[in-house]
Amino acid sequence: MTSMDVSVGNGGTGANGNGVHGNGPHSVPTPIAGNRVLEGDLDEKVAVRGVNFYYGDNKALKDITVPLYDRRVTAFIGPSGCGKSTLLRILNRIYDLYPNQRAEGEVLLDGDNILSPSQDINLLRARIGMVFQKPTPFPMSIYENIAFGIRLYERLSKSDLDGRVETALRRAALWNEVKDKMHANGLSLSGGQQQRLCIARTVAVRPDVILLDEPCSALDPISTAKIEELIDELKTEYTIAIVTHNMQQAARVSDFTAFMYLGEMVEFDTTSKMFTSPVDKRTQDYITGRFG
Amino acid sequence: MAIKNPNLYRSRRAVNATVMAMSVGATVIGLGWLVLVLGALLWNGFGSLSLQVFTEMTPPPGSAGGLLNPIVGSLMMSIVAIAVGTPVGILAGTYMAEYGRYSYLASVVRFINDILLSAPSIVIGLFIYEVVVRPLGHFSGLAGALALAVLVVPVVVRTTEDMLLTVPKELREAATSLGMPRSHVIAHVSYRAARAGIVTGVLLAVARISGETAPLLFTALNNQFFSTDMNAPLASLPVVIFQFAMSPYADWQKLAWAGALIITFAVLALSISARALSAARRAQ
Repeated sequence: MTSMDVSVGNGGTGANGNGVHGNGPHSVPTPIAGNRVLEGDLDEKVAVRGVNFYYGDNKALKDITVPLYDRRVTAFIGPSGCGKSTLLRILNRIYDLYPNQRAEGEVLLDGDNILSPSQDINLLRARIGMVFQKPTPFPMSIYENIAFGIRLYERLSKSDLDGRVETALRRAALWNEVKDKMHANGLSLSGGQQQRLCIARTVAVRPDVILLDEPCSALDPISTAKIEELIDELKTEYTIAIVTHNMQQAARVSDFTAFMYLGEMVEFDTTSKMFTSPVDKRTQDYITGRFG
Repeated sequence: MAIKNPNLYRSRRAVNATVMAMSVGATVIGLGWLVLVLGALLWNGFGSLSLQVFTEMTPPPGSAGGLLNPIVGSLMMSIVAIAVGTPVGILAGTYMAEYGRYSYLASVVRFINDILLSAPSIVIGLFIYEVVVRPLGHFSGLAGALALAVLVVPVVVRTTEDMLLTVPKELREAATSLGMPRSHVIAHVSYRAARAGIVTGVLLAVARISGETAPLLFTALNNQFFSTDMNAPLASLPVVIFQFAMSPYADWQKLAWAGALIITFAVLALSISARALSAARRAQ
């Protein structure tokens, strides 16, 4: 499969047939009628093509091909150790921090291969932000946590910077809770607030793509609900990939779902198709809780 | 639940009681010596302590005097040693924990640093004597400060590396994910997260060097007059204590007690601030 561009031209006007499932990971999904996926055209923001990944000699990902569509949420599900997080960590090349970790293949961001050695990785990471499982506020004030990332790439006046910080906090639905204590340490917030602070921090640098690696697994149900609402809100502007162990969460927040197993991409399709009539037996078994 | 074998249970209790008694005994003996040392120090030192000790020079035998010149000399050499040793130690620790974390060189440096950490300080003194004092042809406060700096480095390297290693890797990954270059991540995130620990390390290094006598004997030597010239022999508290305590003169011995008390309390104050700092870090 060379071209993964999918354009659904009927702009939500009606059925375009059932999801056509091809064989294996290279299939291109056709959105199902009535699904919100139909609203607008589908642009392939990120294209993962034939990616292999190695931890030392251990091959963790095998020939992964998957698209991330612009302003859509793609959920990655699968049992622990299947390579979901590893895949996410390739997309902003955070694995580069560690020797002995190596990726092969192509990851195209707007057509450019980000795995190529000529890619400036700091600029790449400013375009593809990431939020981790464990909230990771920096040991500085709430304000500085957000302003810090902005200052890396932009010179702003104090008032512009204040505005950007406020906007980011509002987008992360945290503003009302912290507006009176902007200079308190970021670590003084609750776990859920810390995670929203991390999302705000990521949003503040205006990336194109946001990667969420199990962002709710350390949070209580109320904080989880807030973050899910937030994801729904954020996808109007960003391309989002989320790794989750929570099947209901994948079903609630995502437009597309990818099921991975033992380092392979087993199935990729629209979320509604994946959760109602998956093609692969393994997908079905996993979603119905028979293993994993 | 009924006890199936009362004898087995009884013997286990007996073993427990014996081992506990032994460990309590060992603790009491260990702490007992410490209390005795501190007690003797307070008893003898406190009586000798007076304002004079801080304002007058070391006297010739048989006349009154104080410890001003060794106090100033010790302060000067410690400050220079910390000023020289701390940056070297922090940068080396940073290399080992951040840039070279997985490199072979870092493990070699770590091994050598551990050797340096446990090297007898008299060896360091002889080393500086060979490379600084002999070529220059005279003892000097600077040579003393350098010998102390060599003692500071491994302590600071070790604590800096340890503290940076406790910074969660997720924090570095999160900072990197914002597009932060590595130098920024280290300077603004890792250092900030490990700050209290690194400062604690520096304070421990100060405590370590403030009582060192051996490395100063061959380097700074001693000076019975007041001097702030780092290029000339310089008095220091440990060396003066050594000299005065060994002397047959009662007033010198009294001053030695006073000096010992001053050093002990200075180190105690530093240790307490180091503890308070790390407690503050944990509370954060």
